[in-house]
Amino acid sequence: MAAAEEGSGHGGVAKPLFAGLSDVSISEDIPVEGEITVPMGSRSPDEDYSTLDEPVKDTIMRDLKAVGKKFVHVMYPKKSSALLRDWDLWGPLVLCVSLALMLQRGAVDSKEDAGPQFAEVFVIIWFGAVVITLNSKLLGGTISFFQSLCVLGYCVLPLTVAMVVCRLVLLADTGTIGFIVRLIVVIAMFGWSTLASTAFLADSQPPNRKTLVVYPIFLFYFVISWMILTFTP
Amino acid sequence: RLGELELDDTEDVSLDFGNEEELALRKAKIRHPLATFFHLFFRVSAIVTYLFCDWFSKSFVACFVTILLLLSFDFWSVKNVTGRLLVGLRWWNQIDEDGKSHWVYEAKKVPSNLAASTEVEARIFWLGLIICPVIWTFFFFSTLFSLKLKWLALVIAGISLQTANLYGYIHCKLGGQKSISKVTSRFLSQQMFQRVSF
Repeated sequence: MAAAEEGSGHGGVAKPLFAGLSDVSISEDIPVEGEITVPMGSRSPDEDYSTLDEPVKDTIMRDLKAVGKKFVHVMYPKKSSALLRDWDLWGPLVLCVSLALMLQRGAVDSKEDAGPQFAEVFVIIWFGAVVITLNSKLLGGTISFFQSLCVLGYCVLPLTVAMVVCRLVLLADTGTIGFIVRLIVVIAMFGWSTLASTAFLADSQPPNRKTLVVYPIFLFYFVISWMILTFTP
Repeated sequence: RLGELELDDTEDVSLDFGNEEELALRKAKIRHPLATFFHLFFRVSAIVTYLFCDWFSKSFVACFVTILLLLSFDFWSVKNVTGRLLVGLRWWNQIDEDGKSHWVYEAKKVPSNLAASTEVEARIFWLGLIICPVIWTFFFFSTLFSLKLKWLALVIAGISLQTANLYGYIHCKLGGQKSISKVTSRFLSQQMFQRVSF
């Protein structure tokens, strides 16, 4: 019907395009059918509650896998949202405790209380991380407090590996060669830690402030590396 | 017409005894015994270990690590498990795509099913949640004044972990509608009036 109207329109005066359609009427016998669909929102409220009822084992496994994934991401630092967005502080806690345990001096043999050294390492790591985070926030960083703590804590992993290696080397050889080996290992791991953490943290800073943010991180890992290198059983 | 209202002889009338397990569950005072146990177990063990660490072991390090691990397990289990099982509340931190972080507080709509928690459980939950940070704060002052400073780091860690859970759950309970300070001041003034009018 519409085509016939258009055809008659061409022959005569050029009419406005759909002028003839006002006369077109749809017969009442023709059923009008079609579909009206409303696109669903991406997440219905019920989905959010699904993890509210999950069994406990699922929760534990999920969290353990997340922690393991983050350890892997630290060893191969590339842009990963796992470390930044799903932060958790379990990794830093485990690393901090193991590092502090390994840094005790002769606690097993002597009667002296190994307390102060243990608490020292603990306080240095956590207080240092908090200070760096405050510093980066004051410089206008966009990363949140716990995210930054998470990254700094997880990036202690290479240094913990260095500590293990150092203790093994010290068991074998306490002379000059042993020292050189330890020095190389510690320097390598220190570089790895600093690079890994700056890879994650430097992006959140405005470009002209990057050095100001990287410097305290450098200092932080330097102090930990120093403690590792100067450790004697 | 009356005949139509009567049951047909061939129709089954089921006698509903109810599932016996369901009835027992309905009457039970504690529906999540494991969750209730663990909610209190880690907190109380941490406090007991702190008080009696000299009896357990001479080593400061062993006590420190044990208490720290107990506090961490307690934090995790109260935040992730016992809160949602015992009172149906949950809180966490979420980071958007543009990097902004915000805290989310969730409360279960009142369910009428059998997995819902009972009053006894809720009372145990809140009492455990409130009393323990108070005890750790007391430890903080006693450590400070007796100058046993090597324990200070541990006590501070304990206070922060337990207070974080307390704060998170109170926030969930209030549903983010009223601010916590207003509710606390109103509660305290009510208590004062009750005592004065006695």
